[in-house]
Amino acid sequence: MALIDNNGSHELLGADASGQLVIHAPTTAPLRQPPRKSRWPARLDMLQSASGLFLALFLMAHMFFVSSILISHDAFYTVARFFEGAYFLGKPYPILVSGVVSIILAVFIGHAWLAMRKFPAGYRQYRAFVTHKNSLRHGDTSLWWLQIWTGFALFFMATIHLYDMLTQPALIGPYESADRVWTGNMWPLYLMLLFAAELHASVGLYRLAIKWGWFTAATPNRSRRRLRWAKHGISAFFITLGLVTLAAYVDLGRAHAERAGERYVPTYLNAPHTAGKH
Amino acid sequence: MISILRRKNDTQPTRRLCIQVLRHNPADAASVPHLQAFEIAEAEGMTLFIALNEIRATQDPSLQFDFVCRAGICGSCAMLIDGRPGLACRTLTRDLGTTITLAPLPFFELIGDLSVNTGKWMRGTSERLQTWIHSSAQTDLDALEAPMEPELAEAIYELDRCIECGCCIAGCGTAQMREKFVGAVGLNKIARFRLDPRDDRSNDDFYELIGDDDGVFGCMSLLGCHDVCPKQLPLQTQIAYLRRKMAVIGLA
Amino acid sequence: MDVIHTDVLVIGGGLAGLRAALGARKRGQKVIILSLVPPKRSHSAAAQGGMQASLGNTAKGAGDNEDIHFEDTVRGSDWGADQEVARMFVHTAPKAVRELAAWGVPWNRVQAGPRDVIIDSQRVTLTEPEAAHGLITARDFGGTKKWRTCYVSDGTGHAMLYAVSDRTIAEGIPVHERMEAVSLIHDGERCYGAIVRNLISGKLLAYVARATCIATGGFGRIYQSTTNAVINEGIGAAIALETGVVPLANMEAVQFHPTAIFPAGILVTEGCRGDGGLLRDVDGHRFMPDYEPEKKELASRDVVSRRMEAHIRSGKGASNRFGEHLWLDITLLGEAHINGKLREVKEICQHFLGIDPAKQWIPVRPAQHYSMGGIRTDAHGAARGLSGLFACGEAACWDLHGFNRLGGNSVAETVVAGMIVGEAIADFCATPEGDMHVSTALVRDCREQENARFADIATSRGQESASVLMQRMQAIMSEKVGIVRNGDDLTVAVDELKNLLLRSRQIGLRSSAPGANPELTTAWRVQKMLKLALCVAYGALQRSESRGAHFREDYPRRDDAQWLKRTLAFWRDPEQRVPTLEYENLDVRHMELPPGWRG
Repeated sequence: MALIDNNGSHELLGADASGQLVIHAPTTAPLRQPPRKSRWPARLDMLQSASGLFLALFLMAHMFFVSSILISHDAFYTVARFFEGAYFLGKPYPILVSGVVSIILAVFIGHAWLAMRKFPAGYRQYRAFVTHKNSLRHGDTSLWWLQIWTGFALFFMATIHLYDMLTQPALIGPYESADRVWTGNMWPLYLMLLFAAELHASVGLYRLAIKWGWFTAATPNRSRRRLRWAKHGISAFFITLGLVTLAAYVDLGRAHAERAGERYVPTYLNAPHTAGKH
Repeated sequence: MISILRRKNDTQPTRRLCIQVLRHNPADAASVPHLQAFEIAEAEGMTLFIALNEIRATQDPSLQFDFVCRAGICGSCAMLIDGRPGLACRTLTRDLGTTITLAPLPFFELIGDLSVNTGKWMRGTSERLQTWIHSSAQTDLDALEAPMEPELAEAIYELDRCIECGCCIAGCGTAQMREKFVGAVGLNKIARFRLDPRDDRSNDDFYELIGDDDGVFGCMSLLGCHDVCPKQLPLQTQIAYLRRKMAVIGLA
Repeated sequence: MDVIHTDVLVIGGGLAGLRAALGARKRGQKVIILSLVPPKRSHSAAAQGGMQASLGNTAKGAGDNEDIHFEDTVRGSDWGADQEVARMFVHTAPKAVRELAAWGVPWNRVQAGPRDVIIDSQRVTLTEPEAAHGLITARDFGGTKKWRTCYVSDGTGHAMLYAVSDRTIAEGIPVHERMEAVSLIHDGERCYGAIVRNLISGKLLAYVARATCIATGGFGRIYQSTTNAVINEGIGAAIALETGVVPLANMEAVQFHPTAIFPAGILVTEGCRGDGGLLRDVDGHRFMPDYEPEKKELASRDVVSRRMEAHIRSGKGASNRFGEHLWLDITLLGEAHINGKLREVKEICQHFLGIDPAKQWIPVRPAQHYSMGGIRTDAHGAARGLSGLFACGEAACWDLHGFNRLGGNSVAETVVAGMIVGEAIADFCATPEGDMHVSTALVRDCREQENARFADIATSRGQESASVLMQRMQAIMSEKVGIVRNGDDLTVAVDELKNLLLRSRQIGLRSSAPGANPELTTAWRVQKMLKLALCVAYGALQRSESRGAHFREDYPRRDDAQWLKRTLAFWRDPEQRVPTLEYENLDVRHMELPPGWRG
């Protein structure tokens, strides 16, 4: 029985019914092998996650380093010199900080580029998503909107901060940083940056765990509850730590405003023989 | 044990419900999308299936909607109920406020009022993802069937329970922006066939179907699908699992 | 004119239609399937409990074979079944299960070793044989000697429908969705396809086919209280009836399922009782053993339904504001079993009743469930009266079920009939008989005639409302042509239905929306459904005996001397108001199992 092509009915019915396309029996091997699908989507997806994870971990570590000011001025001074290699190389090399910053900047730009692929492309998609989000009233969907906006903000704010650190790596120290925060009028930026970065990072980490199925519990809903709790915890902890730290710098900056520009000398170097300098 | 029927409303006066329906008939050139309000008296145990049929029988016979099984198993009647995708047939009005807003599922082709063409999209997805057992083995119908571990059969059924209602697509932020995204329904089907030992396809074969940004890597894990799925399919874990498996292919 | 040509036109995208289409396609025929809804939404998906096939893999199924399945089926039918068909069916059912397994149905499997089950409200430990580990398992169902019902949790129909539907996609068979066949193209001798209405645009098309197969399912929606989906309006059977030459058989044989939730009428599976669930009355008393000491809750469906109605009439029904009902108690099965093997039941109870069936009893009352009757065909699905027309599944009466269908035999029938009828269609197309000379004038006339019918309704200034007539018909059927029937009620029902049929010619529409106006669709369908209702009621009135699901208070006995025959209803003249009934004898000399005590 010769098969008659079904195209006639296809044209007649147009979009009125589905499944008009004749597809070939799957049990027989495909006649021509289509070109293999690119592996890049998988790699880019992993890179996006990996770069995000790296940046989030860096951010946490960074927050701990910066908050060492809460222990003492010397503690922060020590941390700063440590990153300049002072304890391995005999003397500080601020260029090392610039090096680290360049790497962070590169990862940061890479991450932004990878993530931007997921942003709404054009106004139509933007509207579609906003309408959807508003109608659905769904936590995880709204969180992604937060992610977009904090990411967008970070693109500007974090870039400024990173550029600062890239070009002035030597000016990291209790007085130097505090002067930058207060006298240099950077505190509003740091305040916003703090919120944007910590929220973006904690939501990002939460999303990573969901996306790749890490830390699963007995049921998906239970694991999500747990992860959400962890996310809130991380946000709260780091934002609190950040605010207290920033307050410490503001405090120090205000107190040091009159002598702004003065380099910090740690107390263990500030021993009796240097006392007369003032 | 006698009075076990829930009778929350026994002592309360009957509510008047205002059911607002987003109406539009694409077959009518003069029709513009608009909300039309219908008032009805709530009855005990009233579902949106009962309410909409009453409206059609007594108020507006031209109102379009789709119901088939009216028991929550066929997936025909998915719509936006106060903005969230759900099965209208098994939504009790007593769980909603006095003003109920109904709209057709977004994303799918609109047939009219609350009726959308999910079937057409689902068939297209099935063809695109080849959602059938691919096996070169010849089955001898007179021979004893091949054994399967009972747990495995149950695990396959767990994923096979999808009713293609389209709620996951309507609940998916990615799908709203990117029409070619396969969505949770498609990914779940791949997970289902991947789990099935009767299907000969390898991870490499599945990568050909979903290994891109219209497939598993397009998912942004917003979990709208997981949270609106009327069958409570484990979409969250299944998509994550697929992502890991497909990522490994990307590294190879 | 829009004309679509194909070798085989299958009307109906449920399990039977899809499987028949696959059979014909595999033999090289070009096939198109028409479906009211996307095929995966067909009512086949609602079959919960399972499919009977005598695999005999389980401890309680040991020793099962085709002969026992055959006997159960014939006894269950109250000797109304065609035993040739029943033989073929029981022989093919195990093959169908295996075919479905190969297509991906995740049948529940035997777990070797001991397991606890509930039998007759006692906890019993069964030990499943080691050799059967991993083979397809089975549960108990009513009216069977062995545990024979293969299942996938309580979503058996769903899993089967998805596997078979996916198979048709794999084979590239087009399904034209949201299409309704509105009449058959025929010349009184041969069928040439169907006139089809597009339910989106409202336009009529002609599908010309060498073989046409009706697989549109049952007509439960002529009843008010039914477990059937809203699309089960029997239009496929009605268009066959309207040819005037094709008879509908045994239309009075209508099954009522004992456990539909009250009042919504949604099915909870027989598997609930098969797995050990009990029926209780207002006092919490388990009443079935009083009536049926041997089979108790697991007697045939017709028996259980009748006992339940009688028990309610004796004043033992529980009641809520909607009326009287009884209780289904599955709390004794335990939460784990309910969550695993009866999860649809659990969801239905949660969503429609707001109760947890693991802790609370389910209010149930029998509701219309299945149409044993349908388009009369031979044992291979060829319809009587028109060459080139076939029917299978619930829409057909090849007569597997006689006057009562066993639970688990209907989904089994869909795929088995699909296998057999699909081959028969392919055979037909391969012979000269399958050739056809169709006149374009005939096709055009058929279409013009249907166009005129729709136009008449759309432009009528009649005062009758389609939905009012529909509701009245459904009420009459549930009240007077239900589980317990008598001559007086049936006479009243027939008169009222005749009256409704006349009134249905005066329907006027209140709306005129472009496209497929749903009101027009209802108005057109109710005329057809009234004819089916008359076939049921009039057939029931004439049959002065009780057989299977057809129970007459005034004739409570089966009467083999008078009534060992099949009712054939014809509608030869469009103007006639009741069907013409003819009867064909069931020949005892050809019965493998002669009529006897049903047990």
